[in-house]
Order: sequence, then C-alpha cells, then structure tokens
Amino acid sequence: MHPAMSDQTHDPNRTADVLIIGAGASGGAAAAWLSEAGFDVVCLEQGHWQDAATYPTADADYEFKQMSSWSYNPNVRKLPEDYPVNTSDSPINPVMFNGVGGSTIMWAAHTPRFHPSDFRVKTLDGVADDWPISYQDIEPWYDLNDGIMGCAGIAGDPANPPRSPRPMPPIPIGHDGEMIAAAFERLGWHWWPSDNYVNSVRFGEGRDACNFCGHNLMGCYQRAKSSTDLNYWPRAINHGAELRTGCRVSEITTDSSGRATGARYFDSEGNTQHQSARSVIMASNGVGTPRLLLMSKSDAHPNGLANGSRLVGKNLMFHAFAIVAGVFPEHKEPWVGPLANIIQSQEFYETDPNNDFSRGYTFQMNRGQGPGWTARGGFSDRVPWGKDHHSVMDQRFRNTVGFGIIGDDLPEEHNTVTLDPNLKDSSGLPSPKINYALSDNSRRMMIHAIDKGTEVLKEAGATEVTVDPLMRESGWHLLGTARMGNDPERSVVDANGQSHEVDNLFIIDGSVFVTGAAVNPTPTIQALALRTADYIVNQRQDLKG
Amino acid sequence: MTFNPDINLIAAAMDRIIPPMGDLEGAGGLGLAPEVIERSKTDDRFWLALQTVYASLNAPGNFGMLDGEQQDAALSAIESETPDAFGFWLDVVYTVYYMQPRVHQRLGWHGRTPQPDGNQMPPWNESVLANIRTRAPFWKQV
Ligand SMILES: Cc1cc2nc3c(=O)[nH]c(=O)nc-3n(C[C@H](O)[C@H](O)[C@H](O)COP(=O)(O)OP(=O)(O)OC[C@H]3O[C@@H](n4cnc5c(N)ncnc54)[C@H](O)[C@@H]3O)c2cc1C
Repeated sequence: MHPAMSDQTHDPNRTADVLIIGAGASGGAAAAWLSEAGFDVVCLEQGHWQDAATYPTADADYEFKQMSSWSYNPNVRKLPEDYPVNTSDSPINPVMFNGVGGSTIMWAAHTPRFHPSDFRVKTLDGVADDWPISYQDIEPWYDLNDGIMGCAGIAGDPANPPRSPRPMPPIPIGHDGEMIAAAFERLGWHWWPSDNYVNSVRFGEGRDACNFCGHNLMGCYQRAKSSTDLNYWPRAINHGAELRTGCRVSEITTDSSGRATGARYFDSEGNTQHQSARSVIMASNGVGTPRLLLMSKSDAHPNGLANGSRLVGKNLMFHAFAIVAGVFPEHKEPWVGPLANIIQSQEFYETDPNNDFSRGYTFQMNRGQGPGWTARGGFSDRVPWGKDHHSVMDQRFRNTVGFGIIGDDLPEEHNTVTLDPNLKDSSGLPSPKINYALSDNSRRMMIHAIDKGTEVLKEAGATEVTVDPLMRESGWHLLGTARMGNDPERSVVDANGQSHEVDNLFIIDGSVFVTGAAVNPTPTIQALALRTADYIVNQRQDLKG
Repeated sequence: MTFNPDINLIAAAMDRIIPPMGDLEGAGGLGLAPEVIERSKTDDRFWLALQTVYASLNAPGNFGMLDGEQQDAALSAIESETPDAFGFWLDVVYTVYYMQPRVHQRLGWHGRTPQPDGNQMPPWNESVLANIRTRAPFWKQV
C-alpha cells in the first residue's frame, strides 16, 4: 500500500477552499502548492491509487495485459473508472489513464520544454494565435516542476534557451543512441540527450534508479519513472489535502449568479453526493475537462459552464505523430533501455520559409519492446503470418530502432470534444465524442519529417525503413479545448487559468493550451498548473475560508 | 449458445500462422490452442474474433483436410473477408506464442519478465557531447 493511501470520506458540512477535479499531472501539482500555502484542498478522482508492486511487467503475461487490461486506450481497457470515448470520426484515439497520478501512470516521461517561439506563432509565422504569456513567464515554474518531479538530463542544448542544471545526470543513451547521434552529426543536424522525468540515480522518497527494463508505459515497477502519485500527492496529503478516490464528478454546480459552488459526484458506492467549495479547479485533462464543462449547463451558463465564447471543446490538438523505424543489419537489442527517453533532434523545429508548411517537429528516438509487441506491429505493421514470419520477426525484434515524430498541431475550431448523444460511461453520464481531422499543414509537415527521418536512419546504416505516417493510438497529448487568452470572445480562461466568466473557476490541464508546440506537453501543463496555483495563493486569498 | 471450438482445428490453423522453425514446433504443435481460447475469453474483441475466424475454418470444405498451401489460401481468404477479426485473432496467437520460454530461447532473448532485474546498460558518457557542444545556440529569440 502506498503510505499516502488514506481512506477519506465525505463530510457533508465541509466547504473546501479549493475543489480539484482530477488527480493527474496538473491536479497533483496544484494540490501540493495550494495545501502547502494553507488552503483547504479537496480533490475528487474517479480512479484509484495504484500499487507499483503489482504493475504488470512483473508478470509473465505482461505482453497480453499490454493489449487488454493495461492498454492505454480506455476503450480497450474498459475499467469501471474509465469513460468510453467515441472516436469514429477521428483518425487518432485519445489515450489516458484514470487514477491517482492520472496519465502519468502510463506516460513515457519524456519531458522537453516549449521553445520561446511556441508562445508567439501568430507574431512570428502568422498562424493560430499568440499565447497571453511568454516562455519567461513560466520558466521558473518549469524549473520548480523539474525539481519536484525529478528531471534527468543535461543543460547546454543549443536548440533551447539555457536552463538550470538538471537534478540528475542523463539516462544512458546506449550504443543505439550513440549510433543515431553519430548519424545526426554526420548530416550536420542537431541532437541532444532528452530531458526525462525518469530517475537515472535514486531520487525522491522510495524511488529507485531506472533498471532499463524498457516498459514504462504500463506503470513503473521500480518507481523510477515519476508520476504524481509518488511525489506531488504525498506532499499534498501531508499538508492536509484530501484526495477522495472512486468519485466521479457529474456536474460543477453554480449559484444563481453563475459562480461555482462545488461539484456533484458519484461516490465509490455509486451514491450521489455534493462537495461544496469556494472555488473549483478543473484538472481532468483536455478531454475530461470540456466534457464536464459541457455537462454543467445551467440557466446562468446555457452553453455549458464558462462557455460564453462557445470555445469549450473546440480547437482540440493531439500532435501529429508518425513513426519511422530502421531495420539494421546487426543486432541492436532494442529492448534494453527505456522506450523513449534517449535522444531528440530539433533541427527542424522552427518555421523555415523554404518549406511548404509552418512550424516544425521533433524527432524523439524510440526503442522496441517485447517480442509480442513487435509481432503485433510494434513500430509498423504486424509481422506477416506464414512462411516469412520467423525471418521478418527475427529482423524486426533484434535490429530495429526508430523515431516518434511529434509535429506542431495548430488549433482548428472544427476539431472538437462534444457530448455523445448515445454513448454513456458506467455512471450513465454522456461520453465524449471526438471529431478530428489532420490539417493540410500537419500533413505536409509529416511528409517532410518522414523524409528526413528516413534520411538519418539510412545514414545510420538502416537497410530497411518502415513508416507509420499517422499512428492511431497516439492521442496522448490532449490539448486546446478551453484555451487561454486575453479576449473573452476568443478564449475560455485568462493568462492565469481563471475563467473569464466565472471568477472562482480555474482550468489547469492541457485544455488551456493555445498551440501544441512540437514537444510532449506535460512539463508545460504542470508549470502552468503551479503558476495558476501560485496566482490563487497570491491574488485570491478571498477564496480561503 | 455456448461456443466450444475444436482445439485440433484451431491448432492446425495456428501451425500455418506461426510454422515450425528448426527444432521448435509451430504455434499449434506447441499446444497453445487452449491458452489462445482461454485468453480470448477475457476480452470481447478477441472472443468475437475467435468465433468469426473459427466459423470460417469450420465451414464446409474442412480446413483440417486441406494440404498446407490450401490451408494458407483458406486463411488468406478469411483475412481478406474479415480483416478486423482476423487481426485480433492474430494478436492473441502471436502474443501467446511469444510468451513461451521455448520461443524466447529460439529468439536468443533473455526470456524473463523485466522485473526486478531489468537490463544492463553502459553508463552515461558525457564525451559523446563533444561535437554537438561546439554548435552555437540556434533557438529562435523572441
Ligand atoms: C501512453 C502515454 C504516454 C505519454 N507520454 C508522455 C511523455 O512522454 N511526455 C509527456 O509530456 N506527456 C506524455 N503523456 C501525456 C501526459 O500523461 C499528460 O499530458 C498528462 O498526464 C496530462 O495531465 P492532466 O492533469 O491534464 O490529466 P491526466 O493526467 O490525464 O489526469 C486527469 C485525471 O482526471 C480524472 N478525471 C477525469 N474526469 C473526471 C471526473 N468526471 N471525475 C473525477 N475525476 C475525473 C481522471 O481519472 C484522471 O486521473 C503520455 C500519455 C500517455 C497516455
């Protein structure tokens, strides 16, 4: 049992200062910051605590669990705490985990930062919108979060602004990482060891160094991969925050003036309860938050809560995500070492007027996983059955390394999260429906990226290159569906994450992103969550009882 | 209606999917058909897929009586007629097969769960940064 797994129950007379919905990456960060500042914090989380000792990679059948009960697609996993998502009109499936730690239980923990230019794409490139904040505004929060989550890496990357020394040295990049790095160098292209929230040495209470098992997407048995159940939540609970699990919120309640008064929820027995609060923070991720806001209609908020702009649920961004993998003539043992915590290249990150697309992309080197994963498709398509099965399998399993390519996915209003009229979760609440189409800009960008990815793999010696131009199970970054901005007509929250319409409602998850950049988003999500929490501490003492 | 597939028929098909290799029998010969059936029961997608594939294998013309090439042709036909079901079935057959220690041995893989031992890697070596460190910063100032 995790020491912080306390059994806390609903007190109907308690009015919390702050009610947080969702105990994931952002909810944990805000809960710790606010409770340490003396706010009375309650968090409602539909899922449960996880016990690292029971993560599936300790079992012989972990590769079966990977495609069933431990899939990162909630539509496949189908746990009672998951909600189904209608993806029939999307080429990308949103993936997530619902429990204490949220999707950081399953994430790869590759943790790059946005570039300064990402906050100014309208000014620089004439596309999308500028953010109402700059890189400098959130830099201190990035640093703070790196220290608490625990970042392994090394400062000095020429593709990024200087940053403070990383708390841990980089994860070893291995012979395969060195081979790819050398190929980048021969082409004159950038590379740098990734920043990762994975321990390269013992760091944090009870957390070992990575044992290079290669399987951190099903929870980290070593607790070497950082997740908020291991750091932010114990901290928050030690400072008096109450985390109530198995509690699914069905509505954010409001008074006649439209201000938030708390949330109605189903407790772990399925009974309807109400938690009163002086303020509400949404931390349910870029799909869960718009879903809840749209479910929270009232006379004061007929389009859904905080939705006067009608932008709640619009501008969904996932990131365009392609896989390019090289098969090499000699053995690489790609199952040794973490999957995606190796090196990255940002040679093609910025807009280049010679290209037929705006913005750019990051190459994130990836390794393979177990033999079942490889046979089922791994980096590309399924290994063929029949007489060629063994020869193809032998090649791919032993000799393949590649890249995930993350492309900047600019916001478009027709990419949406709405409420499905028919599909329901296990509590009978409407499920989200995703409508998403990859933009022409992203498509052109990915053609360029695949071409360049192929070039570097061939330079490294690959004899065969396989491509998945748009990975279906790649909706791990859920962004943009309640964007921030200065103009209430064009945004849902302000630069501090506070709703333009409801002054005691805040949003701190990836929903607030104005653009997606070409990097994994979670350090930015958590930095913004800490920044909003700090704004509440400094500017909203009125919310304290 | 309960679904009680003929294990021999499934095993025969599995032998065509993953044929014998050297000393190692095919996926059917290794006796994995019962496990494929049991694991399929744990997930609707796999259970429906098994029933769909089985219905075609069991159709008149009897898969078990065909020679190897004809069996491959029959499986290819099922694959093109019901690609989703066939794919899910393949996923289960592949995964169960690649969970077997004898198969790991043939692959030359350590063949154990990754925990708690994990794998060994050479330590981080900062000298690999010597070249890239000479590159001037090129991030866009705004
Ligand atoms: C397989 C995978 C790999 C990833 N890899 C990376 C990576 O390498 N780098 C990176 O930066 N990011 C990665 N991500 C993304 C990262 O995990 C997310 O960006 C991050 O966790 C989002 O934080 P969040 O707080 O917005 O939401 P989450 O962490 O998803 O937490 C939301 C929480 O809200 C709860 N919730 C939702 N609705 C309700 C409700 N109605 N009532 C009560 N509770 C509710 C959920 O149960 C969940 O626990 C990955 C994600 C996945 C799934």
